[in-house]
Amino acid sequence: MTWKKELVMMPRMSQFTNFLKPVLLRLGSMTLAISLLTVLALASVIGTVLLQNQDQSDYLQQFGPIWYWVFRALGLFDMYHTWWFLSLLGFLMLSLSVCLYRNVPRFLKEMRTKKVPVSDSAIKHMELVHHWQLAEQPLEKIISPIKNQLKEWTIRSEERNGITYLRADKGHYHKWGYICVHSAMLIILIGGWMSVHYGFRGNMQVPVGAEEHEISFLQGTSTKSLVMPFYVRCNDFSIDFYPNGMPKEFKSNLTIIDGGKEVLTSDIIVNEPLYYKGVRIYQASFGDGGSNIHFKLMKLDGTGDIDTAEAKVYTTYKDEKTGITLELTDFRPHNVENMAEKDQPKDFQDLGASVDYIMRGPGLKPVKIRSFIDPFILDGENRGTFMSVSFSGDAKEFKPMALGLDMSNPKEWQLFQRFIIRLAATDLKHPKKANMQAFKLAMADVFGANRPDNFQAMAMRVIQAVQIIPRLPWPYIPILDDYDQKYYTGLQLAQDPGMNVVWSGSALLVFGLCIMLYISHRKLWIIIRHENDGMKVTLAGVSNRNPLNFKREFKAILTSFENDMEQLKQGDKL
Amino acid sequence: MNVNVESTGMISQLYQGRPAFVRYWGYIGLILGAVGLALFGGDGYTENGYIFQLVGKDGFMWLGTGALMGSGLSIAYQTMRPVTKDSWIPQTMVPWFDVAAFMIILMAIFTLFEPTAEQVSYEDQSSLFAAHVIMTMNVLFIFSSVSYIAYLFAPESFIGKLATWTAWAGVYAGGSALLLRWYESYLFMDGEIGHAPVSNIYEVFILLFCIITIIYLQWEKRYDAKAMGAFVMVLVAAGVFFAIWLESVGQAEIKPLVPALQSYWMKIHVPMNFVGYGSFAVACGAGMAYLTRMWLETRDSKMVKVFPSLEQLDQLAYKSVAVGFPAFTLATILGAAWAAEAWGGYWSWDPKETWALIVWLTYGAYLHVRISHGWHGKTLAWWTVIGFLVTVFCFLGVNMYLAGLHSYGHLS
Repeated sequence: MTWKKELVMMPRMSQFTNFLKPVLLRLGSMTLAISLLTVLALASVIGTVLLQNQDQSDYLQQFGPIWYWVFRALGLFDMYHTWWFLSLLGFLMLSLSVCLYRNVPRFLKEMRTKKVPVSDSAIKHMELVHHWQLAEQPLEKIISPIKNQLKEWTIRSEERNGITYLRADKGHYHKWGYICVHSAMLIILIGGWMSVHYGFRGNMQVPVGAEEHEISFLQGTSTKSLVMPFYVRCNDFSIDFYPNGMPKEFKSNLTIIDGGKEVLTSDIIVNEPLYYKGVRIYQASFGDGGSNIHFKLMKLDGTGDIDTAEAKVYTTYKDEKTGITLELTDFRPHNVENMAEKDQPKDFQDLGASVDYIMRGPGLKPVKIRSFIDPFILDGENRGTFMSVSFSGDAKEFKPMALGLDMSNPKEWQLFQRFIIRLAATDLKHPKKANMQAFKLAMADVFGANRPDNFQAMAMRVIQAVQIIPRLPWPYIPILDDYDQKYYTGLQLAQDPGMNVVWSGSALLVFGLCIMLYISHRKLWIIIRHENDGMKVTLAGVSNRNPLNFKREFKAILTSFENDMEQLKQGDKL
Repeated sequence: MNVNVESTGMISQLYQGRPAFVRYWGYIGLILGAVGLALFGGDGYTENGYIFQLVGKDGFMWLGTGALMGSGLSIAYQTMRPVTKDSWIPQTMVPWFDVAAFMIILMAIFTLFEPTAEQVSYEDQSSLFAAHVIMTMNVLFIFSSVSYIAYLFAPESFIGKLATWTAWAGVYAGGSALLLRWYESYLFMDGEIGHAPVSNIYEVFILLFCIITIIYLQWEKRYDAKAMGAFVMVLVAAGVFFAIWLESVGQAEIKPLVPALQSYWMKIHVPMNFVGYGSFAVACGAGMAYLTRMWLETRDSKMVKVFPSLEQLDQLAYKSVAVGFPAFTLATILGAAWAAEAWGGYWSWDPKETWALIVWLTYGAYLHVRISHGWHGKTLAWWTVIGFLVTVFCFLGVNMYLAGLHSYGHLS
């Protein structure tokens, strides 16, 4: 092959554009646009049905290993950020650009040039046409009343082949609606792209009194972190409650520390973020920030001793003697529950503070416990201390367990211990009598002659507890005794350079939609020609949308003309 | 096709020419007075404080002055420069202002029937009066839809009027009941939980009924499309039964607002969204009427005569979408603005957001094929029906089946 031949074989520029043109046409076609919209809609459905960005182990459990790997490979667990979903959006942007590139020059030209004369065949195809036959008279006499009636219309006139054409337009700028809407969509998508590429959004947890400068966020299936150029200190966090116990307001008092200097201190609440150096700081969540917890360890070895333990939430308390560990997972200062029976008026009660811990030990099954500080009061009656216990370790499977005794009263614990000892020593042949006797003796052991006033209720609880407490497999029962509460405030920090772009696109979108949907381009032609020894006037009109309204408008114009035309019919008889 | 019949009674005089003009500026003055009160009245704007000011002496002074000044100035203007031609803005706006004013008056009357503060508590809201008004609304809407259906079989003008009037009465009952609930939310817990009545699914349902009915009644008035009412009002009636069920499971109670909802955006975003949903429902009604008429035509049924023409129904469906689509777009944008303020990002691919996008894409595609491809008729009628199903899922299904940030509309 010679070089000459090779040159001939090479695609020329013109050929290249010839090849590109159909591609461009395809990309800008409506069919592609509608298919894209449909595919986007369908793809979006998947992401709403499949919960996004959950724990990987949850997915594995839910779908089994095979489907888990299939879904994972398709990126369905973080679908809206997968390459294929983003390319769909990219395609939409491309399609929009091509669509604009193809149509905007044409529309602009169309809006600029308006051909005044109109062919007879075009008139024939119009639905709204009316003719008047008038006597011969000067043109001006016909035109001036028409112009008078059509004051709100843009009118141009032209004469061709002895025929006078008047063209009136209303809403001829409506194609701007199309241009605005489509460029607005493009702008919004560009804004979104800017947000993703140049912005960030992540969370930080700041315990009260502490400071923090790192945020963490999910990217795909892994957690990433990012260091902020400043520190955030949480001075205070508080929750306001409605009388029914629902939270009313979450408030954090924050100080921004930039370059070692305190630059700004402010309160933030939900819906009212703080703004510093292009970063918005939102109140997002809260939780326990490591409260200090005091336990009473009610020993079950028969001695009746009460030990104490102290630990912070999120740490583990280890008891060297018994090998028991308590892993503190959460603390709540209030537990508001609806105590009413089903179908009864609601009755909210605060059950008081509680701590969650997992108890482990040699020869013990691990157990998750929520221990409440206060005894359970029902209808004014003390039903003793209770706890929620979950043997599976899952907080969802918490089951209430009454201990019978009111553990907040050490005397009652002592009484219970004495009762057990006295009971063991009594004659087991007459259990009822033995109970009474043992209790009386135990009372004397603990209180001597000064019986407390409410000893009957105490007796009930002690006898109840005998059925429960000795059966517990633990060396002691850790009961929440006291606490120094400390919250952490959950903040979300975000920077979004694309946001204002999105807002301007949105404004343009709404503006464009209103023009596009509410402004119709209405055209009227008035054709005046000499015919049948007189003059024939033709009125014709079309509208690009809303034919129902235009028909009405056309009729109104017709009626307004009728009067003038009636006069002109007579001709100039004077 | 009927062109509006101009009546010349005493009442219609109020909506034309000079009375309409003066009343329009009176209302504008009233609104400006309310704005002035918010900006300059009292010391600093707080939402609850403002509401109490509005209904108190301050409100009376500011709003009254505004209304008097507005109407006074317009009378002066009219005497100086008499306007010969009616301008359309007062003529269009005044009836709407009247509807709002009438609802507020009704609500004020209803407050007289409210039990005393000792008889109501947060735990027991059964004695509140709004429940009765809502029940009346339910009955009216169901009656109206039955009448519209009866009208298809017996197109007597009496039945038609009855259907229209009960529908209007239902709108007034619903609107005033919502306002009454706003008032009632201040009755207990020392007024601490007072909030606009668009905070839970039960309240927005009532709003939705009213919006659907109002949009439909506009089409009926302007385009004489009475047969369409049977289809639109049946949707409303179905919704009414759902709302009755909601009430029976305790979803109708006035509850405090969670912190995320305590924002002025709620009052803008939610009603705007329901203008969108409501018009899509009306479009669906028109689409169903279209399909029914087509079916009746194949069977040479006599009932066809009652229906508007296919072209008209097609147009009405489009018109409804044309009302709903910009409203829905704006509502979604407002929602994004709120999300940017409350959650730190304007778009989080939350199920509700995503489904709003799906709805938007559905109707966006509808407008594309209609405007650019010139599609008409049967396919588009089906499109409006299916589009509405998608809308219903976005509005209800998401709350029922999918968890997410919008879970305060959650059904238990």
